[in-house]
Amino acid sequence: MNEPKVAILTLTAALLVSAPRGLAAQLVSSKLEAGQFTVSDGSLPSSAIRLAPTVQFELPHATLRAHGSAFLSEQNLQLADGIVSGTFTSPTVYGVRAEMIGNASRAMDARSLGTDQVDVQTRVHVLFHQNGGVWLGGGVARPWRVAVASSADVTDAGAWTKVGSAIARFGEATFTTTFTNFSFTKVATVNDTVSAALSCTAGSLGGSSDAPLRALFAESVSGGACERQSRFSDLEGAMHWAVGVFELNAQTGYRFGDAYDVTPDSRRWTSAAATVWLGDRVAFIAGGGRQPALPLRGLPARSFVMAGLELAYWPMSRSSVPVSLPRSTLINSFEMRAAPTGMQKIIIRVGGVETVDVMGDFSDWSPLTLARKGRDLWELSVPLSPGMHQINVRVDGGAWVAPPGMPTMHDNYNGDVGLIVVQPEKSGH
Amino acid sequence: MRLHRPPRFALGLSLAALVALAAIRPVAGQDATVDRLAKLDQYNRAAVELMLDSAATLGLPVSYLRSVAYEGIQRKADGRAIVRAVRKQFDLLKTARATLGTVDSEELTAAAAVLGAGARPNQLATFRAQQKAPSRLEAFAVWADLLTRGVPAEDAFSGLSKLWVDGADDATFLRLWKNVQSDILQGLNPGTALQNRIRETPVRASPQVKPPEGQQENQSSR
Repeated sequence: MNEPKVAILTLTAALLVSAPRGLAAQLVSSKLEAGQFTVSDGSLPSSAIRLAPTVQFELPHATLRAHGSAFLSEQNLQLADGIVSGTFTSPTVYGVRAEMIGNASRAMDARSLGTDQVDVQTRVHVLFHQNGGVWLGGGVARPWRVAVASSADVTDAGAWTKVGSAIARFGEATFTTTFTNFSFTKVATVNDTVSAALSCTAGSLGGSSDAPLRALFAESVSGGACERQSRFSDLEGAMHWAVGVFELNAQTGYRFGDAYDVTPDSRRWTSAAATVWLGDRVAFIAGGGRQPALPLRGLPARSFVMAGLELAYWPMSRSSVPVSLPRSTLINSFEMRAAPTGMQKIIIRVGGVETVDVMGDFSDWSPLTLARKGRDLWELSVPLSPGMHQINVRVDGGAWVAPPGMPTMHDNYNGDVGLIVVQPEKSGH
Repeated sequence: MRLHRPPRFALGLSLAALVALAAIRPVAGQDATVDRLAKLDQYNRAAVELMLDSAATLGLPVSYLRSVAYEGIQRKADGRAIVRAVRKQFDLLKTARATLGTVDSEELTAAAAVLGAGARPNQLATFRAQQKAPSRLEAFAVWADLLTRGVPAEDAFSGLSKLWVDGADDATFLRLWKNVQSDILQGLNPGTALQNRIRETPVRASPQVKPPEGQQENQSSR
């Protein structure tokens, strides 16, 4: 237990003390949640101070993330869980984007030595101008030190849609629906103390009233252990709503499966958390609800209540979209050249995308789509009168951002715009 | 009992009316797309149009203010936020005009952007038109950017006004901006980054350009 504790403390200290410089400062984001956490399952102290640091390193097509949480109880730090994950995404081609996700995690429980899991999943997303999408995915999860499960096949499908905008009166909301199917082999021995093992024992002994159990554990294995193919599916709806300094995350779900695989307390669940940003880097968080059991991790269903502060030393992206979308750094270059007849040619180099739009005061802020002139070359001629012009660019219908390589300033609506200067007799930069 | 059938000319008349309506509707639709301010509710639209009228009366660039409203509509901003943004830019334009005097609308809007980024009117006064002075547009763009990046207002003003008074051209301002931006990304304090780069920026002295009275302390002696 000491090594994980040291890891959590080191991660927390690193968040608070060190600061990335240069390019890394643009790529690294982090947060630290600290507050009171109360759970009902008895796996942790009923009420404890919780520390949960997260560090994320973002590249245009990859995101690496480390997260952990620990509880401070009677001056002892107890690790609750830790996860390191990596997400790799392909360029978007005709609205289709592939994603590969890998996780390595450990979940600690006071009643056991903890469980480890490695899972790999691939997803294929179909995006609708970054305002919505659907995905289909599948993968394998391999847990260790879990008495009741071996490997698991995981398939999932989902849909999401984003409505509103960050500066609209009612803000922006993202709705996500996910259907996930878990198929795995339960392995139980007569020495196990969990419900599966008890059933296994009954099945192995062949009691007179356990015909259903006998059927469930038809494939009995030697050594007092038995196996069963288990399957259950989760249907979950989630909402992320952000308006001004207020954010709300809520989810509710239902678990399909027979009574043996799904315990009654995991049939339905609902939880919510509200965040109020007190400043750029400090937020108050409060939430609670019910979480279903995680059979692959050996964790039971539990209710929880939490309240605390989030310190975002380098604020994390608030995106709630369940797919990695292109970052603005994908735009390799932006330049403008004088074109004949008083026009200016906008030239943007960005690869692996389908559409590139610009807008600015010169277009009365109507989007103008650039024409693809090469693998990563996009061009558009626009009439730009002499003067200083404001411009935004977006890729694949995503967020409007200031183009790289030119002066920028805040616009009138909490965003950033690039500044193009066109001199009377020569082109701008 | 026989059903009374409508006369044929009535049917023909109805059909003609439908065709006429169908022909009229696209025209109305075109009007709606042209007047994008119609997307605002009547109160906010009236407030914006009142400011546009006032700007026209004062000789301020109406198209710029209208563009600010269009920007808000495109970004799906709340109507009240759009009115606030237009009013703010209207006030900035008035301040810029009062500070710089009669200048063309391009320089006026650029000056308003600098004021909006955090420059003070008395600082802007240094950039009053001089005979044969270099263009202020690039200087204003770089100034607004530096303020946005967190360079202290006094540092940004003293550095850029010095360059402008010394006759720096557009390329010099752009080169300065790129260097400062690079230094800031490397972790240097924004104010320090600008001061360092100003010190090493060579400019050709332009004897035609003279600072306004009271600003001699900002002139370079190099």
